[in-house]
Amino acid sequence: MQFSMEPKTQTPANGLPPKPWEQAGSSSGPAPFKPPSAGNTSDVVEASGTAKPGEIVATSDRSAAVNRNSLGRPVPARPWEQNYGNSTYGGYGSALNYNSGYGSTYGGLGGGIYGGGGLYGNSMYRGGYGGMYGSSGMYGGGMYNSGFGGPMGGYGMGAGPYGDQDPNNPYGGPPSHPGFWVSALRVMQGVVNFFGRIAILIDQNTQAFHMFMTALLQLFDRSGLLYGELARFVLRLLGIKTKQRKFGPPGPNGQPLPGPHNSSGNVNYIEAPKAAPSGSWDNVWGNDPTQ
Amino acid sequence: MPVFKTPFNGYSVKFSPFYENRLAVGTAQNFGILGNGRLHVLELSPEPSLPIAEVAAFDTADGVYDVAWSESHESIVVAAVADGSVKLYDLALPPSQNPIRSFHEHSREVHSADYNPVRRDSFLSSSWDDSVKLWTLDRPTSLRTFREHAYCVYSAVWNPRHADVFASASGDCTLRVWDVREPSSTIILPAHDFEILACDWNKYDDCLISTASVDKSVKVWDIRSFRVPLCVLNGHSYAVRKLKFSPHVRNLIVSCSYDMTVCVWDFMLEDALLSRYDHHTEFAVGVDFSVLVEGLLASTGWDELVYVWQHGTDPRAP
Repeated sequence: MQFSMEPKTQTPANGLPPKPWEQAGSSSGPAPFKPPSAGNTSDVVEASGTAKPGEIVATSDRSAAVNRNSLGRPVPARPWEQNYGNSTYGGYGSALNYNSGYGSTYGGLGGGIYGGGGLYGNSMYRGGYGGMYGSSGMYGGGMYNSGFGGPMGGYGMGAGPYGDQDPNNPYGGPPSHPGFWVSALRVMQGVVNFFGRIAILIDQNTQAFHMFMTALLQLFDRSGLLYGELARFVLRLLGIKTKQRKFGPPGPNGQPLPGPHNSSGNVNYIEAPKAAPSGSWDNVWGNDPTQ
Repeated sequence: MPVFKTPFNGYSVKFSPFYENRLAVGTAQNFGILGNGRLHVLELSPEPSLPIAEVAAFDTADGVYDVAWSESHESIVVAAVADGSVKLYDLALPPSQNPIRSFHEHSREVHSADYNPVRRDSFLSSSWDDSVKLWTLDRPTSLRTFREHAYCVYSAVWNPRHADVFASASGDCTLRVWDVREPSSTIILPAHDFEILACDWNKYDDCLISTASVDKSVKVWDIRSFRVPLCVLNGHSYAVRKLKFSPHVRNLIVSCSYDMTVCVWDFMLEDALLSRYDHHTEFAVGVDFSVLVEGLLASTGWDELVYVWQHGTDPRAP
């Protein structure tokens, strides 16, 4: 290893080591960008007239964005939107705005949108924990004091809408319990979130998932056959004779008749052990094409 | 080479631009699907044989999908959190005073964060709510929201040579190049037929950009002539999750993939694949080149391990 590990002395705010590429000139021709503006980013953006501070992208008005689809093909619905009407979401979105207002009131302390703890100092594992998920039975419940365990775990009840029950929290009023619908919607949000993330993951692994499913189906297919074989074997051991495939009366060419005429026998053509009809396997499938 | 075991599944790793031995790791419980997250700040010890030490760790109420070091303050780290928040942590402050900021404007999971390396006063976040947001430390809210993508934006990366230009990679199969002074995107690049999961700019040529996609390929583009890619790098067997241009060598790219490998490429060579590292036993989802030490790589994955190694050596070698 060639790096020396002595940490450098505390570099001042502007003491960033130079980037390796800063010494080298750009190796290709002119770039299609406007020359960079002087000044800091806030001023540059505000001077350009494009600033729009604090815009919140609500789920419901996403489809209204301008100039959005240059694909020339429809874009799939988001996995988490498929079964939920926008009205449900609308109501939810408003709760979101409400909370973000709260966040800015307290500046840097912020407000967890769903009371997700940790924003109020150190008390990470207060009730608000379950907030986002509701379903976090694994860590919900007793472990972190969120009060109500259970499989859908501690939703909301451990934490008021703002997640502060911490007596040391200087900002906390008395915690108010969320209404039934608020809790229900949060639970729904958690569930939708859960499936949304799984769906995104599958999305990103389309091919892998396809191969996995193909393999799985093949396995089921094979295991069904294996089960049949085993069952027959066991039955045989028990002395129960399973019906062998019987060959019908010889056909015109001295071959067994194919098809429905065999219906008295075991019709599992593929897997049933075929008593080789005197010699060759060629005739098992019916007429020999060579004839 | 040193290895660090995180309690949760790794999602992202970044080297500090100030200290050559420091890195930040974002992790999420239960593969990031359900549970908490943690931001680790690690320090490599002077002896390569000694383990990596943890300098600080911060818990979050949801998974940490990405981290970015501040380019202006050596102790500040930006975390992109899956509950839609963007949080700033100051390592110099005690844990009780962290995070120093928590911005809640995205309505869905935030998937990437990137700090402006040129002007050093702003950073970007990209989210599954299809938007990219521009933030500065001197404002209490986001400065601007970029909304044109029609699906999740997986990555937004600043141009390393131009303070006002960045690119965003999205699940709508396009890559867009933006100028923060323009009302809409300046270039739309339909780069792949499947979702694009990551992009990065070449550090030595500000017109070259590479994209990584679900179609298992990495493509390098010249944005001045974007009809055909400059080259296509095939070699991963599943979706390519992240990629990075080397800060030291013009043509070097490192990529990591759901096929659990990390690959290093030279996109100008005929045999582009230089090395393949299969040290991870689960999805490899985070990779980074050190800016300060040439050839030093770090990677993390769902096997809860962070590897740091010199390019050309075995990451698992003791």
